[in-house]
Amino acid sequence: MDELIGSLAPNVRPASERPAGERPARERPAGEGPAGASWPDGLEAYSADADGVRHLPPAALPRVAGALLERGARLVMVVGLDLSGLDGAAGGVGGSGLPAHPLGARSDGSGLAVEVVLGLPGGELARLRAAVPADEPAYPSLTPILPAAQWDEREIHDLFGIEPAGHPDLRPLVLHDVAGLPAHPFRKRRPAGPGAGPGAAPGAEPPLARPFRPFVAHGEGVYQLPVGPIHAGVIEPGHFRFSAVGESVLYLDARLFYTHRGLEQLVEGRSFERALPIVERACGVCTVTHALAYSRAVERLTGTTVPPRARFARVLLAELERLYNHVGDLGNICAGVGFHFGTSQLGWQKERLLRVNEALTGHRYLTGLVAPGGLRADLSDPVLAELGATVDEISHDVRGLVRALRRSEGLMSRLHGTGIVSRELAERLGAVGVAARASGLTWDLRHDRPYEAYPELDLPLVTMTAGDVAARFHVRAQELAASAAIVRDLAGRLPAGPWREPLAKSAPAGASTVVGVEGPRGASWLWLMAGPEGTIERLHLRSASFANWPLVAAAVPGNLVPDFPLINKSFELCYACTDR
Amino acid sequence: MPFDVLARILGPLRRPIISSRYPAEPPRLAPGVRGLPELDPARCTREAACVAVCPTGALALGEDDWSIDAGRCVFCAACAQVCPTGAIRLGSRVELAARSREALIVTTRLEARR
Repeated sequence: MDELIGSLAPNVRPASERPAGERPARERPAGEGPAGASWPDGLEAYSADADGVRHLPPAALPRVAGALLERGARLVMVVGLDLSGLDGAAGGVGGSGLPAHPLGARSDGSGLAVEVVLGLPGGELARLRAAVPADEPAYPSLTPILPAAQWDEREIHDLFGIEPAGHPDLRPLVLHDVAGLPAHPFRKRRPAGPGAGPGAAPGAEPPLARPFRPFVAHGEGVYQLPVGPIHAGVIEPGHFRFSAVGESVLYLDARLFYTHRGLEQLVEGRSFERALPIVERACGVCTVTHALAYSRAVERLTGTTVPPRARFARVLLAELERLYNHVGDLGNICAGVGFHFGTSQLGWQKERLLRVNEALTGHRYLTGLVAPGGLRADLSDPVLAELGATVDEISHDVRGLVRALRRSEGLMSRLHGTGIVSRELAERLGAVGVAARASGLTWDLRHDRPYEAYPELDLPLVTMTAGDVAARFHVRAQELAASAAIVRDLAGRLPAGPWREPLAKSAPAGASTVVGVEGPRGASWLWLMAGPEGTIERLHLRSASFANWPLVAAAVPGNLVPDFPLINKSFELCYACTDR
Repeated sequence: MPFDVLARILGPLRRPIISSRYPAEPPRLAPGVRGLPELDPARCTREAACVAVCPTGALALGEDDWSIDAGRCVFCAACAQVCPTGAIRLGSRVELAARSREALIVTTRLEARR
């Protein structure tokens, strides 16, 4: 059995062994550095502005994006924009108080735009922005050439009423067909009051008129199995519709976004400081990831440099987050096959890690520490002094457990060959994180666009090629050992000194940036635009879970219905930070 | 069943109990845990910096009292960090369940103005 395990071991490549050219320099914002080098010939007319945004007509989007994709570009996100708030005519929503949405009419559609962000090989970003016409807000869809953009474009269609023409599936994604829901709630509102003109009543907005119908298979002996949105157990809501023949799944359609809270709109008009607790809590188990992406975006817009202690402490916190998530996720995979020994033992180890978090930060899920400019509070040196040894001990226990689990043939035979995602499929659908690395892709933002203190760390890259549940299990097991090593290393040598820097300057209204952070579930991207007087004009969060959900639906067909919980847990995606 | 699985199941039987007798005894919390913010009325200068900074609008300063809505507080500690006199600290109060919405609002009487 051990020989078998040996041949199935993940490919762990220490950073120091990577060829020199393979390791990119510190990440650069779009538009800086040798962007000209990889920019395709014939497209020089679309030059980048100060933020690295290239403005082009909607009709040119597929051609330019296509040229970049041929050069190996990958999707980062497609974000919908309503820039009419920047001309001073619209008041945005929100402001300083809590739910104080002025009930003005929606803007007439002027200022609507879409921005496609692509990651180029070598780590730079290409930002392509196209203003769409107000009378007929549409642009040619990118989904036919870039399937990973399918959900981004459906979301823009729902929230902004911008049509991606030629998109193969324009059913509602984010908005559920609840009576009276407006068709494009993320367009800015103009201030109510005198001069607002006719149509100012909120009731005048066109309602959402597109019902959601799940895609199902038809045929003799094919039956449908609806599951959720309410599940047994304390988990988040999502509806899954299986088309099955006997025990075999032919097709799976998922309907999520039951926890869509409009967080991106809620932060509009808030100051950077006041928006942080909302962004941080987009989901409960990725708090460091979201707070870090947000803080780095604010720092870039304000030209703020973070002191070294904070740079290292943030990596420490990010790896603690990865650690407890990976340990919990391994336990959940055991739960997916009803192997309670693994579930309870790993649940115990996860609890130990949560207590470490509590002792270090005052919060079991690590909120309230990462903030624009550095940290909100300092980490206590006496706790840090014990942290390394404690985490080492837990990591040692988890390693022993994983060894025991790998010897359990009953468990491993359920994991092997289940929920296979081929490398080609992962690449086409834009997989990120553990799911991508378990299918042979070497995508990890900590390597591709190293940030904070990561360039100074020796971080192994863990990959496997099988793409099944077992591969995702093994990748996590290896990564958590690496995370524990980083925590031990950093806890012992956190630089002394200041841990917070005031924001250097106010961000100019209309300035925007895109930041990516490798969270426990993969690359999480945040798009941020500053409004007037240090407020947020628009924020978009494309979490790792958002990127990977279509992959879950694609991994299930061909497997047995009872394997769905197992496959689902091997991705272990958050609903809350997908839905926002 | 492999021996190490058996050992891991039986091993803890030889160890001392690690769970606490909660709720018979108070919850064991880490020293720095962030519970519900508490105000020291003697140090409050009524500048209301905490009310202005609170991201969820959980705080209110009245004529002679200061109140916090435990139904809104997210324990971010912004109030404690902004208070010019250090009158607010996030204490060890973590048992916040109540039987009515109003009971979630915790009020501290301020000292009479001099």
